[in-house]
This record gives sequence, C-alpha cells and structure tokens, in this order.
Amino acid sequence: MKSILVVVCVICASISLADEKPIPNPLEFNRDIRPILAENCLFCHGPDAQRREGELRLDVRDDATSNGAIVPGKPAMSKLYERIISDDPDERMPPKDSKKTLSEREVEMLRRWIDQGAEYQRHWAFEKPKEVEPPRAPGAGHPIDRFIQSKLAGIGLSASASASNETLIRRASLDLIGLPPTIGQIDEFLAACQQDPTSAYLGLVDRLLDSPHYGERWGRWWLDQARYADSNGYSIDAPRQIWAFRDWVINSLNEDMPFDEFTLHQLAGDLLPQATDSQRVATGFHRNTQINQEGGIDREQFRIDSVFDRVATTGTVWLGLTVGCAQCHDHKFDPITQQEYYRLFAFLNNQDEPTLRVYPPGVNGQQWVAELNAADRELDRYVSEHAQDQAQWEASLNDESKKSLNAAVIKLLDVPVEKRNGNQRRSIFAAGPGTTDSQFRQLIKRHTELENRLNSTPTTMILAELPTPRKTTVFIKGDFTRPAAEVLPGTPAVLHPIESVIEKPNRIDLAKWLTSRQNPLTARVIVNRVWQQYFGAGIVETENDFGTQGSLPSHPELLDWLAVRFMEHGWRLKDLHRLIVTSHTYRQSSNERPEIRDQDPNNIYLARQRRLRLDAEIVRDVSLTACELLCEKLGGPPVYPPIPEGVMNVGQVKRAWEVSNGEDRYRRGLYTFAFRATPPPALNVFDAPDGYFSCTRRIRSNTPLQALTLLNDTTSVEFAGAMEKIIQADGVESAFRRCTSRRPNQEELVLLNSLDLRSAARVLLNLDETITRE
Amino acid sequence: MGLGKLSLASLISGGSLADSSHAAEARPSRNPLQPKPTHFPARAKSIIFLFMAGGPSQLELYDYKPKLAELNGQPIPDSYIAGKRFAFMDSSHRINLLGPRRKFKQHGENGTWVSDLLPFTGSIIDQLCLVKTCKTDLFNHAPAKLYMNTGSGQFGRPSMGSWVTYGIGSECDNLPGFVVLQSGPRGPRGGAVLWGSGILPTSYQGVSLRNTGDPILNLSSPAGVQSSDQRRVVDAVRELNLNRLVATGDEEIATRINSYEMAYRMQSSAPELMDTADESETTLRMYGVRDAREASFARNCLLARRLVERGVRFIQLYHTNWDHHGGPTENMEEHLPSVCKEIDQPCVALVQDLKQRGLLDNTIVLWGGEFGRTPMGEVRESTGRNHHIDAFTMWMAGGGFKPGMVYGQTDEFGFGAVENPVHVHDLHATLLHQLGLDHHRLSVRFQGLDYRLTGVEGPRVVEELV
Repeated sequence: MKSILVVVCVICASISLADEKPIPNPLEFNRDIRPILAENCLFCHGPDAQRREGELRLDVRDDATSNGAIVPGKPAMSKLYERIISDDPDERMPPKDSKKTLSEREVEMLRRWIDQGAEYQRHWAFEKPKEVEPPRAPGAGHPIDRFIQSKLAGIGLSASASASNETLIRRASLDLIGLPPTIGQIDEFLAACQQDPTSAYLGLVDRLLDSPHYGERWGRWWLDQARYADSNGYSIDAPRQIWAFRDWVINSLNEDMPFDEFTLHQLAGDLLPQATDSQRVATGFHRNTQINQEGGIDREQFRIDSVFDRVATTGTVWLGLTVGCAQCHDHKFDPITQQEYYRLFAFLNNQDEPTLRVYPPGVNGQQWVAELNAADRELDRYVSEHAQDQAQWEASLNDESKKSLNAAVIKLLDVPVEKRNGNQRRSIFAAGPGTTDSQFRQLIKRHTELENRLNSTPTTMILAELPTPRKTTVFIKGDFTRPAAEVLPGTPAVLHPIESVIEKPNRIDLAKWLTSRQNPLTARVIVNRVWQQYFGAGIVETENDFGTQGSLPSHPELLDWLAVRFMEHGWRLKDLHRLIVTSHTYRQSSNERPEIRDQDPNNIYLARQRRLRLDAEIVRDVSLTACELLCEKLGGPPVYPPIPEGVMNVGQVKRAWEVSNGEDRYRRGLYTFAFRATPPPALNVFDAPDGYFSCTRRIRSNTPLQALTLLNDTTSVEFAGAMEKIIQADGVESAFRRCTSRRPNQEELVLLNSLDLRSAARVLLNLDETITRE
Repeated sequence: MGLGKLSLASLISGGSLADSSHAAEARPSRNPLQPKPTHFPARAKSIIFLFMAGGPSQLELYDYKPKLAELNGQPIPDSYIAGKRFAFMDSSHRINLLGPRRKFKQHGENGTWVSDLLPFTGSIIDQLCLVKTCKTDLFNHAPAKLYMNTGSGQFGRPSMGSWVTYGIGSECDNLPGFVVLQSGPRGPRGGAVLWGSGILPTSYQGVSLRNTGDPILNLSSPAGVQSSDQRRVVDAVRELNLNRLVATGDEEIATRINSYEMAYRMQSSAPELMDTADESETTLRMYGVRDAREASFARNCLLARRLVERGVRFIQLYHTNWDHHGGPTENMEEHLPSVCKEIDQPCVALVQDLKQRGLLDNTIVLWGGEFGRTPMGEVRESTGRNHHIDAFTMWMAGGGFKPGMVYGQTDEFGFGAVENPVHVHDLHATLLHQLGLDHHRLSVRFQGLDYRLTGVEGPRVVEELV
C-alpha cells in the first residue's frame, strides 16, 4: 500500500461552478426551462390528468397561459412567478412536502423566460432529427471529428493525440469482435502501419467487421436489450430452449441485416407472408420474458405481466421512452396517456406462445416429419397384414407363457381386438410374432431412428398470432382484475401516425412505424446506444430515457447527423461502426490530461477516449484467447464451463450443472448457460445482466469479488496453468503481449521475471490492463 | 508523469451521500463501501433480518384469535373476502375458518399472547417490539419475497441491504457490507435476486456466505498456492497496476488496487469469521449450536452476531420451509412445530447475546416472512393455511425500537387491521429512519425517475415504534 503514497500530488479541490454559470440569453425552452419544470413542477402540473393539481398544466403553453399562470412578457403578473417567490410557506411552490426547491438561479431563469415571451418548444426528441452539415473544425476531416472538435474548441480543449498502434489494434479488436488480437495479428498490423497507417487501420477495421466474431460481440449487445437468458425465471427457474434466437441475432448481425428489417423480423416475423422459420425464430425476442411456474398462481396475472414487460421493453429498446410508466396512470412527465399505453399493449396481447423445432441447416423439417409419418403407416400396414399371425399367437398363449410378457403387454391383451389402436396393436405384435420377425424389427428400428431424430431436434420459443384477438382494455391502476374501457391497437399521438393497409394495425405496422423515416426516436436511440459502447456513455447520457426527464444530448447536432445518416445508409449497423471507429475521436488516446480533468472531469466532450473495463463475457474471452484455449465455434446450445461447487444450491430448485468437456469447456462467455435465478458467478460478478428485464447499459462495478474470481476461481486456475506453459515456451514478454497487446517496459519485465512462472502467469491474467479496453 | 491533480485523497476517499444521488453523475469513490455520513443522527448501525421464508402463520404464533376457535369450520363472512384475491384461487382456496392450532399463553409484563410453539421467544417478549398489522401487496412467494426485500414486485430493484450499504457504506473493511446466510432444506424462492443490487452497482449486492466449502465463492487460494505466494501475486499486480495508473491517470485503477487489497484481507477474515472455535461452550449452548461445523439457523444466528461485531452493515438470514398449506410435508401438526423449534431458541439467543455485549442498542433485529397466513384453513390430510397479505406479524428488537410494544390491532379473525396498519413500505421507511436515513432522500435516478426503496405512495415512518 505504501507505494500508493508515491502518487500523492497536489490536492486541488474541484469547484462546482454550476450555480455561477451565466444565464444564457436568450433562454431556450428545451435547454434551459423544461428541465426545471420537469424536475420541480410536472409531477403535479404535467401530463397525468389524474394527478393534476389545481387544474394547472405547465408543459403545454396554451394551458399554462390560458389561466394566468404564465402571462408572456409579464413575470410580475404571472401566478407561476408569484407562487415561486412567495414568502408564505403555504403559497410557495414547489410545496414543502414535495421536497423540491428551486435555486435562486432557477427562479431567475423562469422570470427571464417569461419576460422574454415564454416561448415553448416541443421536446427535442419528439422532433425529427435535423439534417445538419458537420461544422468546420481546423484540422478535422472526419465528420464526427468536426462535430466533436468544434465543440471542444469552444471550451478551450483539444483532442488528444492518437493512441499507439498497439492500443489501437487491441481497442478495435475488443470493440468490434470482443477478442484481443493475437501476436501475429499485432505484428502484421504494426508492419502495415509502417507502410501506410491509414490503410492499415482501414484494412484492420474491414477484417474485424467481416469476422464472424463480430456477430457474437454485438449480438451480446442486443441480447442484453432483449433480456435473453436460458431459463424461465421466478422461483422455479426451469431451463428453457431459446438459443436459436441468440444464434439468429448473431447471424443477422454478421449478415449486416438492415436494422429496420432486423426490427420487423423480431416484432412480427410470424406475420410476414410465407414466414420462414428464420423469421419465426426472430420473434423469440419477446419470448424472453419470465414464466412463473410457482404453485397457486393465477396464470392470467403472469401472462399480463409478460405483456407489460413486452410493452416496456419495446418502448425502452426502440423508442428510448419509459412507456411502462403509463401502465397505471398517465405518464407523469411525457405525453403518453394510460389509454395510449394500452393501445400499444393491444399489439402485444394477441399472441399464442408456442415453440418451433429448429432443424439443422439444410434440413427440410417437413420432410423429416413426412418420413416419420410414412414409417408409421408402413408399420401399421405391416401389422395389419400380419393380423393372422398375431391372432394365432394370442390364441396360443396360456397363463404360463404369459408370465414371460411384460405387464403393459398383458394389460393390452385384455383390450378387445377391434378396440385396439395402432400403437397398441404394434406393441402386442412386437411382443409376439414380432420377436422373431426380422422384417418387422427392421421397420421398428427405422421408425425409432426417425422418431429420435425428430425429438432430439432442439426447439425455440416463438410468437404466433391468435386467430381471434383478445379484447384489450385499460386496466385501472395497471390491475388486470380491474378492466375499464376497451382499446384498439395504436400509437401515442405525440409521435407520427401509424399506417396500416388493413383495418386494424398489427405488429407489422408497429415494426414499420418504429423504423419509419418519420419516427424521431428509433434511429437516434440506436446510434446513441452504439456510441455508448465505444465511449462509455451515450451522447444522450440517459440511454433509456429520451423523454422529458432524460438528460439532454451533449452533442445534439452530431446525434441528429448520425441518426439521419444511419437511416439514409439503409440502417446498416456495420456502416455505423465503421464510421465511428475510423474517427479520430475514437482513435485518440484515453490517457487523462490535467486540463481535461479540470474542465471536463466526466469527459463529456471527449477530448480523450475512455478506458473501459471489459464486459463480463469478454473478460473471459480475453483470457481464453491469451491462453490459446479459445474454441471459436459459433452458436449452438449453451455450454456449462466449470463453476464453483454449490452455486446451484441457492435457488428454490437445485438445477443440474454438468460441466462441459472438450471444446465446449472453452467457449466464449456468451455461450455459458444463463439461469436467471442462479446466474453464472464469474459473469454475474462482472455485471453481466441477469435477463430479468431489458438492460440497455451495463454498470461497470469494481469489487473484491471480481478480484477473488480472477485470482482463485477454478477456471482462472486452469487459465493460469495454460499461461504458465506459454511463459515457459515463449517467455514472459510474449505472454505479456498476449494479455495487453503491448510490450512490457523494462521495469515491468524485471518485476515479472522476479516471480516464479506460476505467479507470473497469475499476475498477467489479473492485471487491470488485461481486463480493460484502453 | 503528468498526473497533475491526482491525489491520494481523491484516490481513496469516499464520496458523500448526495441529497438526490444521480448514480450516473456521481464521481466514483475509491471504495464504494466506505462509511458515509447519514442524513441525520442514527439510532442503529446495523440490521439483522431474520427472514422466515414461506410465510409463518401469525395465527399459530402471535396473533391469538379465540373467535376463530369458536367459529372453526364455519365460512368466513362474505364481507371479508368479497373481491379479494388469494393464491391457489383455482383449486384449494377454502373459505372455512380454522381455529388456532396451538395453545396460547400470556407472557411478560404486558401479558402478551404467544403460542406454545415459541417458549423462548415468549420469555423475552418484553424486549421485542411486535407489529401485528404488517401488510404487503403480493401473495405468491417469489414476488412477495421480492416485495419484502426491494419494496417492489418487479425485478431489477435494489434490495434493502443494497440500499443501506449504498447509502451509508459499511464499517467493516475486510468483509462485504451486506451478507446473506441461509439455512433450511432449500434455497429461498427467488434466489439471488432477493439480495441483488438491481439498478445499483454490484458492489452493493448481498454476498451469500456459504456454510460448506469456501464461505465466499472463490475465497480460498488455489490448491498449492501458499499465503505468501498469494501475497506475492497481489503485490505484483498492485505494482503493475500502479504503473498503469501513473501512465494513464485512470482513477478506476486505484479502485481496482483497493479491491485486490480487500479481497486479500477477506481471504483471512472470512474464514476467521466462520471459525467459531473461539466461542465458549456456554455461548454455543445458548444458541443451540450442536455441531459448530453443521449448517443451521442456530449457527447462522451466532455468525450474525460475529458479523455485527465486525461492523458489517446488513445481515440477512434466510430460513426456509414456512409454507404450511396442510399437505403431507407442510402441515401445522408436524412441520410448523419443527421449524419453530429450529428458530425459537437461536432468535432469542441472538437478541440476548447482542444485549449482553452491548450491541443491541445499535443493532436492529428484524423477524418475519414475506406474508402471513389466512384465518381460513386449508384442511387436507392435515391442516394448513393459505398465503395472506392483509395482516401478519413481524417483530423488531434493539436499534431504538420500543421494547415490550405490541403495535396494531387485527379484527376478530385476524384477517385485516382494524387499527394501525403497517405496510412494507412503512416498515422500510422506519428501518431506514433508525439508520439515520431519510427514505425520501435515499434515491437513485433511473429512466428519468427517482427510485426509492419505499416507492412513491408516501409511506410513513412509524414513529410510535421507536
């Protein structure tokens, strides 16, 4: 611990200047005023009609000005102003029991805004993204850099220098495919950079985007949002099969399926004309809800709960809106009424929840079924053709010879011949004349094979529309036992209208509405969520709330530009990735600089990149790769790498965990079987989501349990053993490069060489740098 | 190296508790569990929550209803149950009242009724603060357990222990701040989510201490690694991380250095905690620990005291199998008595032991389950009761709760409160209050809303209890 003291430098208090910032002139409603109203006033004077006090609504100009609360241009005559400056505690707003208070600066801002005419603006996120030109910024060519650097110049900061080539290849590899580069790949890249750094980097990006591992890395990003896991959740938490959906996501991303199509298949694949199996598998998106198998439950209650989840998830994932808030009442802050909530609910309330068999590639499932049916008929025919033999055999039976038969058969013999069904006749025949009939036995064998082939085919959970729609009503206070007025499918009035070729819009229309060029939210929300992966935070920091309570974009023009470009370029995610990672903003060093620390301590303006601890699965993948253990197989059923003894005991029902052997022991983290109630500890401890609800942003915690995992877990020990061999064979420098992608400096090398091999191996796999993208 | 304004102080100091802590905006503190100032002076420093998983029957333990005996077998008046929903609505819901299955006796100075299933508890009833009118919202096990722990039936909310350690950290720097101990034949329904940290960082999630093998997952160094080897590895990791900290200026590396130090300390402090060899024979006998190596509720109570002594903030004990519906393996005749026997003496020993060591003043012991059971019986081969959420009994001891108090009055059948209902949110608010936390201010912003343990409906601190 002593050596930390070496780092002691001058203490500099960070001073918050928030309240001393000059008040902008003129004031802008969205930027300056709406946040004050949203935080302090709208809970009681906002969109929620039930909750509204004094019949006053402040988020709509006509309402606020019609009753004198606001008299534009005349703060002194405005009741709102009068109330917020009142000395009378009973008069003063916000009221004491709201525990909200306005600062002097906020009061002054409201005064000046009224004075300036109290102009409202629609909430920025409900307006379509503006088509903007990237601003000029000296020395910046890439459009993203032009946006970022012109803003940086405004606050007197400049971008950081490029990161080293070694850092770059590691960063891009981890970000695009979730695996670190091998030494060979590093050397190749460094050599290419000697020739032409730009084309070397572009080549690298192309190689990574073409890698099938791209789909795994970004597939997990989507699976977080889809709340994917391999079990039913709640207390019983039985395993389920839905990994075909996971593989569908990976494959679709690898094929760079346009995001609008990607959306359509997941929300409405089953409704598409001549829907393919792949399109049906995609509808597993909304089957990732939990299923309660506890005794004594009301099934309808939990079905409704899963629909609530689907509505909330759709709202969060595509619209970045907290639609779920309107389940029990009109939304407190955003213009979504409870009625509108249930209109969205109506789209998702008419489904059956079947499973679908997933045949291996190239297999025609219908043919498998047909073959089995044919074998079935053939058996029946054979048995009836030999009915004579059977009758003779039965007639020959006596009490003594019956004893050799099994009990089930004896019982069947009591069934009158004319009442026996095909299966029964077959069973009796098999016990009788069939025992010595090789032709019959051949038929049975064939039948069993075909049957097993079909039954061992995995299934996956999908949606299917009910022929007759369920009636959807508003539920009073979100309570399904209190239905109110019936509603039809529809979308919130604050957004663009939904289009439908049929009488009542369906899920196809909903999906198309979400990805319509008219939709102001979806493209912004998605590009923001991609951006967040690269920089640790989105341009809109509240990545799951673009509503009025969310934070404002740090770079609104950039967000709009990215969103518009994303749509114009056909909703291609790979194109978006290429655009971002080729910017200097992405490629710059992540090292802290004193001036950034002073002026932009949270690095909102991106004068540097950010060091990010790797996602849970990738922590594992890096070790697997560095130790040369990784099995690169793509997709398939989830696997069971070793976990500590007793982990599965904490759930109500103890679930089996038969450790996978062979290559399945070394699969990427995203293939580990994920029980919701007893999540895999090595992933859970590094903040992998548990699949209970949509996760649009992972927390990055930093805890002692993570240290214990990397130091002592069976898996870590096994990895360290492999690393020890690598050190033995190739030396510690090579091992260091496998973990960090760079060469150790002299000091580091001396320290590592002073350790025994095993310790050195363990140290390397425990370095902060090894589990961090720099 | 240009570390500029980086300081040791900023590396290892904790953040302070903001009024409305916007998680995303808060600067990360080096040690997330560093003790933090409370909102106002605290009455208690730690909580031990004795969770009786499955729903203990208040009508066989604390809420004595002679009227039930009188009307045994008769249907409950319709006015009680019209419009109500119950678990097992489809098949086994019965409307016939079931008289108390146990004998009750008055105990203590106030003559508080306690059944013969809890002789030890009866003997210290004057030290307990009994609330007979607890009320929850959900009647299936997993959702109700979630509700009792997180104040919500929805997944993804932080549990009480997470809120508390998030709010005020922990005074122990070599054990987790929020510890879970389990006993009984199976894990509680709902699993790890009951002590999950939800939208808060996982630093605040409960750590389940196990009774067999490593008490904490991966606590032991790998086979063949001596303590000195482990120290060498941790030291080398620290040196190299420190180099990287200097090179990059990323404070997160300082947090990681702290995490490794704490992990290393835990490797010795956790086994030391679990090793009860230093406890006297008298103490072991008082708790009813027969075999110090055997996992039991009694031993977990003893461990709870040891955790409190070490400054751990929130300790939760789960003891399963209180779900007495009346079936052959879950009835009032056989299984309720046996589970009561398992917990009665240890609960009392815990309270007494804390008291004699001067720890009870600063420690809240909380006893109860996720709900109670219906006045109506489930009469199968034997007898039982269904889940009931309108009125059930919990008790608190220590931490400023009034000893000898019996709070809340239920109706003649024990169906609902006739006065002083205490909703789960009220209970949470009161517990936080005793820890010096204003439940309203202990919030975190997520998806545009301020989330709290106590929800939005304006719960009250039940001041009569403290």
